[in-house]
Amino acid sequence: MFRLILRRLAISVAVLWLVTLLVFVATLLLPGDPARAILGQQATPERIAALNDQLGLDAPVWQRYLDWLGGVVTGDLGTSAASQGPVTELLGGRIGASLVLLVGAAVISTVLGLALGTWSALRRGRAVDHTVSGLSLVVAALPEFVIGVALIVVLSTTVLPVLPSVTLAPPGEPVWSRPSQLVLPILALTLVVTPYITRMMRATMSEVLDSGYVEMARLKGLPERVVITRHAVPHAIGPVAQVIAIQLAWLAGGVVVVEFLFRYPGIGQALIDAVNNRDVEVVQAITLLIAAVYIVVNLIADIVGIMTNPKLRAEVAR
Amino acid sequence: MSLDNHDTRFSRRKFLLGSAALAGAVPFLSACGGRSDAAAAPTGPPKRGGTLRVGVTGGGASDTLDPHSPVTNPDIARVRNLYEPLVYRDHDFEVSYLVAEKLEPSADARTWTATLREGVRFHDGRPVTPADVVATFRRVMDPDDPKSGATSLSMLEKVTTKGDRQVEFHLNEPSAVFADYLGQYSLGIVPADFDLENPVGTGPFRAASFTAGLQSRFVRNPHYWRPGRPYLDELVLINFTEDDARINALLASQVDAIDQVPVSLVEVLRSDERMRILSSETGTWLPFTMRVDRPPFDDVRVRQALRLVIDREQMINQVLAGQGRVGNDLYAPFDPAYASELPQRTRNIAEARRLLAEAGKSNLDIELVTAPIQAGAVEAAQVFQQQAKAAGVNVRLRRVDTTTFYGDNYLKWDFAQDFWYTRNYLPQAANGSLPDSPYNETHWDDPEFVRLVRTANRTSDTGERTRLLKQAQRIEHERGGLIVWGFVNQVDAHQVYVAGLVPDRTGLPLSGYSFGQVWLG
Amino acid sequence: MTATTTQSTLLRRAWALPQAKIGLALTVVVVGVAVLGPWVGPWLTGHDTTSFAGKPFQSGGIAGTDGLGRDVFTRFLSGGLTLLIYAVLATALGLVLGAVLGMLAGYSGGWLDSLIMRGSDVLLSFPQLVFALLAIAMIGPEGWLLVLVIGITHAPRVARVARQATVAVKDADFIRAARMYAMPRRRILLREVLPNITGPLMVELGLRLTYSIGYVASLSFLGLGIQPPTADWGLMINENRIALVVEPWGVLLPVLAIAVLTVGTNLITDSLASAAAGTSQSGKPQTAKEASA
Repeated sequence: MFRLILRRLAISVAVLWLVTLLVFVATLLLPGDPARAILGQQATPERIAALNDQLGLDAPVWQRYLDWLGGVVTGDLGTSAASQGPVTELLGGRIGASLVLLVGAAVISTVLGLALGTWSALRRGRAVDHTVSGLSLVVAALPEFVIGVALIVVLSTTVLPVLPSVTLAPPGEPVWSRPSQLVLPILALTLVVTPYITRMMRATMSEVLDSGYVEMARLKGLPERVVITRHAVPHAIGPVAQVIAIQLAWLAGGVVVVEFLFRYPGIGQALIDAVNNRDVEVVQAITLLIAAVYIVVNLIADIVGIMTNPKLRAEVAR
Repeated sequence: MSLDNHDTRFSRRKFLLGSAALAGAVPFLSACGGRSDAAAAPTGPPKRGGTLRVGVTGGGASDTLDPHSPVTNPDIARVRNLYEPLVYRDHDFEVSYLVAEKLEPSADARTWTATLREGVRFHDGRPVTPADVVATFRRVMDPDDPKSGATSLSMLEKVTTKGDRQVEFHLNEPSAVFADYLGQYSLGIVPADFDLENPVGTGPFRAASFTAGLQSRFVRNPHYWRPGRPYLDELVLINFTEDDARINALLASQVDAIDQVPVSLVEVLRSDERMRILSSETGTWLPFTMRVDRPPFDDVRVRQALRLVIDREQMINQVLAGQGRVGNDLYAPFDPAYASELPQRTRNIAEARRLLAEAGKSNLDIELVTAPIQAGAVEAAQVFQQQAKAAGVNVRLRRVDTTTFYGDNYLKWDFAQDFWYTRNYLPQAANGSLPDSPYNETHWDDPEFVRLVRTANRTSDTGERTRLLKQAQRIEHERGGLIVWGFVNQVDAHQVYVAGLVPDRTGLPLSGYSFGQVWLG
Repeated sequence: MTATTTQSTLLRRAWALPQAKIGLALTVVVVGVAVLGPWVGPWLTGHDTTSFAGKPFQSGGIAGTDGLGRDVFTRFLSGGLTLLIYAVLATALGLVLGAVLGMLAGYSGGWLDSLIMRGSDVLLSFPQLVFALLAIAMIGPEGWLLVLVIGITHAPRVARVARQATVAVKDADFIRAARMYAMPRRRILLREVLPNITGPLMVELGLRLTYSIGYVASLSFLGLGIQPPTADWGLMINENRIALVVEPWGVLLPVLAIAVLTVGTNLITDSLASAAAGTSQSGKPQTAKEASA
């Protein structure tokens, strides 16, 4: 089993390396002159030459790649053309803000998804099951911004104006100091991923409930509550964990649209701004960051999968 | 759905009520300088004290307190309140004297003498001396690190002290309007030992704290030379990049005033009784720029046709929601020499078609480069595209981002747009209409025009200068490369209890960020 | 079992499910609006998509005006076609590319399999939208780029499914027989393998179409997809949301249309998935979209 995990780890590292290559090559496609873009209207030939030198743009491509990769590894992500400050500084506070959204949505959607899935599996074929399945099928189809706009219309502007639709981040104050403005973005992200977790939990739970194992527990005369909480749920969670992890990795991308919609000062909003300004170093840094999160979470999901796989567990025991 | 309808109706009724209240208020506002207003607006003599929080558009990590290189709106708002130049354009776009009390040219307009105002002190209490002024201009014109104020001072050769209250500006060519070049917010007077770590100036406020990209906090300057001012104890300037964040902050009373209200939302804010809209007629313009040295725009008939194709009233209505004035392909509307006698160009599709046919350019197909360089720019391009169809002109829009627009190809686009604040004629021509101008987007190089402008620059006699400038404008009006379809109103908003903000012609928001005159009711 | 019977059985089974009928009805309604709208709109309202009906954000007409004073209802009627075309093209590209790569990998095995699958791992480590943003940041918001980049990001996801399905059939008797007659690989893949993996590919088709609609609309909503002055649902939401309080229709109409369309295609996909799960007799209920991120 450990060899399997090591192998999986090695693949992840290799993929991550290829991703850095891809992100770097993408920037070579950019037409125009980065030094000129940074200097803007104040560009004189001397200053462009000086900046090219400073940025190492005269060096051969492979050396620029190595320099950039070295910077990434040591936490130096370059300079933002738009703000003229270091990228790390620009992203510093935003990463925390995005994490608040991600963790909030992850916790709520996991709990909600597991509960709804279990409930639905227990009432298979009944009205509750049909409602939950139907709703999750509908909600799962909707793009994030449709869910977000619907939430704004219902809870912020038109039907029940109770929550702010725009995030205000007064300087020096963290976003979570005004919890009310976190509600809608977290709710939007939660609605986006909960349906998948619910459906997977329902499917797995149904299988577990039909298994001999649960049958046995029931035959032993254990109360239904104990059968469910002690025997069925723990068995269902293993396979579902992987789906949850994949959904959470997905959140890392979905956060872009949701942050843009709610003007939430996280990395997603920064990515859109950077794309609009063609701020290459920032785009590079954020896509790399999101890809890394994606890879790591998927890695964890696979490791969880390997460890909870009874066949492989048995191998270790032997 | 019925709920939605209900709500819309409700807000529309609210809006009607709001605009009715304002209909009476607006003329009053402009007449009395906004000191009083209907309803709850403060009245009586200005009150001292309080903190004003202002949401300002833009800014970022490159924010600076440098008096001589402000770039973004927050930078400008800061330098306007920390520092003061010798002279400046006031709310009516007339020259007003700040650190100088007098500024006079010699007979040949090659030497200008400024007399410093008595009793003007820096934030630390030291009086302003001629040596400080000389040092200020040395800092601005530093050949190793010229500041943004230096670009328009190319004619300035030397600054010398004269006695203990006067400074002399020696020019390398005569300039009859040098006062205009000195009257810029980026030429604030600082002490000879100025240090950016301790940003001392003569402005109504002094810096207490500053975080780039976020906000700055200024406090009252007790040594300020205008008696009684400033009224506020404290001024907080907060950066906002997003329109709706800024507006929401105002609605939630997190700030007391904001600049740059999107014109389409003016009505929404008007419907709120706690808010006041401050709309200023300005000389700010958003022209289309045609390169006169590139086909098809090198044919004057094509330029004239495109100027006839545009429906200026419709531009004002659709792009600016009515918040602007029609332009006549001329800039500098507040210059005393503005050629208001020239006939207003209006839409004439038949004539445009005729000119195009004559030029052999029927079914013209052109590309217009646009970018969100200013609110309304991309929208104006879209409206123009639509209007041009009527004359059989196909306009393809090429929307680029602002960085690309002002990048390599800026000043090289064949057909694009640009954005200019209010200026008088000669400074504007020096910036954008002469072969050696830094931003001559249209590559305009008309020998007759150049001769007229250069002569006017040397002419001290106002009547004669006006005559020359009117001739120059006639040429631009007839064959220039700019389509000046209108002048954009500056629209800002503030809470009803904020007093002292008046309409301002310079194009800078919120009375030109003159918070020294603001008080809270 | 021949290809046509597999396919028709699958479709018949799917059609028997109620969600297929509801899904098709919803999809047809929105596709109808999108396809007919551009012709009907000007005739119905007297405006075209770029002409001016009044001042910005006023309530005249059926659904008021937008930020430039254009008629919202006309623009709504015309705003679906481009989105639909881009989404279909991107789906087709992703499906073809993914199916070819997946079948090649699954059928050939060995180094080709490894190369294709590791290559798709790299693409799979970006969320689809983020990869699209990376490409748009470099090249700019061009129509062909949207189709290309969304299609490319679909490909590895489709390839995984196609590969799995191919591996499952590649040792079947009829394929062994074909190999024995030295049929060229291309013909085996096209004639023998492809017809037998249509089930999973049909499910992928529906799934990728649903996602493509979402991605094209999302990118336009972010201002990085379809560009003004084109009338487009995603772009309209972006343009009009600032006036949501005063003139909500400019936002609500396109949001509703996109919602109904994606729900419709997803219901069809779900019915196809249920039907495919039934025919393959794997016994395990397949949920439409799990693990598809």
